[in-house]
Amino acid sequence: MMNRRDLLNLAVAAGTASAVLPTIARAADESSTATRQIIDTNVNLFQWPFRRLPLDDIDALVNKLRSLGVTSAWAGSFEGLLQRDVAAVNARLANACRNRTELTPIGSVNPTLPGWENDLQQCSTMHNMPGMRLHPNYHGYTLNDPRFPRLLELAVKAGLFVQIAVSMEDTRTQNSIMQVADVDLSPLPAVLENVPEAKIQLLNHKLRSPLLQQPGKCAGVFFDTARVDGTDGIPQLIARLPTGRVLFGSHAPFLIPEAALIRVHESDILDEAGLRSVLSENAKQAFRKASA
Amino acid sequence: MNNHLTQLGLPSAETLKSYRIWDSYFTPAYAHPGADGSSKVIADVERSLAAITKGHFEKLCWFPHVGVGTTTDNDFEQLVQKQPNVILKPFERWPNLLLGMIQLNANNVAASLDAINRWLLDGPMLGVYFPGGGAGAMTCTHRNFDPLIERIADLNGVIMQHTWFKTGGKTGPGESTPAELAELAARFPQQKFLCAHAGGEWEQGIRAVQNAPNVLIETSGFDATAGFIEMGVRELGAERIVFGSHLPSRSLGTELGKIIGAKITDQQKKRILGENYRQLLNPILRDR
Repeated sequence: MMNRRDLLNLAVAAGTASAVLPTIARAADESSTATRQIIDTNVNLFQWPFRRLPLDDIDALVNKLRSLGVTSAWAGSFEGLLQRDVAAVNARLANACRNRTELTPIGSVNPTLPGWENDLQQCSTMHNMPGMRLHPNYHGYTLNDPRFPRLLELAVKAGLFVQIAVSMEDTRTQNSIMQVADVDLSPLPAVLENVPEAKIQLLNHKLRSPLLQQPGKCAGVFFDTARVDGTDGIPQLIARLPTGRVLFGSHAPFLIPEAALIRVHESDILDEAGLRSVLSENAKQAFRKASA
Repeated sequence: MNNHLTQLGLPSAETLKSYRIWDSYFTPAYAHPGADGSSKVIADVERSLAAITKGHFEKLCWFPHVGVGTTTDNDFEQLVQKQPNVILKPFERWPNLLLGMIQLNANNVAASLDAINRWLLDGPMLGVYFPGGGAGAMTCTHRNFDPLIERIADLNGVIMQHTWFKTGGKTGPGESTPAELAELAARFPQQKFLCAHAGGEWEQGIRAVQNAPNVLIETSGFDATAGFIEMGVRELGAERIVFGSHLPSRSLGTELGKIIGAKITDQQKKRILGENYRQLLNPILRDR
């Protein structure tokens, strides 16, 4: 089992000098304001299709996040999973976020639908969203699909980052008539060779991703923490990746937000700068528009 | 270190202490304790100590392998048969923290009965754990369970049965579902059973044991999915829910978060986090 010394050895062995634990953080803002900032890069609004959730009322979710110290939450829409009128999905999302200062809307785009390019443009120009969220496994395409690099190119031109929800729910607990495998990430490094400016965040991933063995090939790829489990799972993930790649995400309200927050610090492996990096600084550095 | 950052998501230390947390499902080196019988367990307990301290846990119960064929390592199985005390080192190191329930192998009834007598009758173990995978797994409706349950009941032992309801069906021949545990429990109405992981897919798991009043659900082993504890309290009552941490392969956040983040009363949280488990253990602890 891995302890603090093992983690240090792992970081050195990986040849990523920047991954040495005490210096995990980017140079962090020392101000008290920064200390208090928490950016949750992974929440969803509206209703999960398969059951009601205790926090699926938007005000209840915002109040909970606020009570936990979350100052900003990047919100996608559960409606984007299955609904095909994506323009309406994104309009409702933008409207829900408009008067809630903590929420930043992240629109849905489904490149298997006719006219998906319009949805992408609307995210940028009509709703002023900083990014979009993809659900390839719910929308029925792989990352080998030629529409995917096209989408990334348009996102780069529009100044949008892209979040890929690798999963939404453990495959073992899904509804038996709608089993959805995790997104296969293996094509991603090759795709990104042709779109190197793209910025992608992988949500709800597990450590099995081959990207973790090839971090050098994925300069624009970031990770969230929502389903990274094990008492030292998040420090291990950080140690395996180049500096600045791990961003706090809760997957609330599907998952309990307290769980995600506790996991960041529970092992006492990350120092204060490291904690701030995960909780806010990495998100601010990587995706400035969303953090503004 | 900034205290604000290191306590995020947690209740105050006073509140956590007031819960008197007893963890029914601690899994250091769950599959194999190390060739010497304990080194991997000790390493995993050390790995978990920060979370244990932060959560203000009072006790944690883990599941030692005792040489009845629950691993596939013949050298280890023989070692623990010849020198059973090698498994006790973690208890000697943390005598006030650790509790134990032995892993049994219902495929080998004779050896399991011997182990029950060796470890429950003579101590220090408080119950048994029936695994859902590996060499010792057997579906719990099998009649091999009957003599084992009878003897465990004689000794006031606590029973934890691993369960999952997996979408698509079982992935191993020895797995058990909550419905199968309910079937076993109906044969022994005076004995309490712990349904580990509430079946994982807890919406079905809770329903499967709803009419089995001698089955309690254990809370660990799956993502911190919102609504689980609320449904459990609504359908079973807080008195039929027992906290487990699954540390260190799962986390304090995931597992404690399920309870502290649920919309239930503080009294219900106290029951789930420790009181119910202590009640189950009371008879065998009283006998010691």
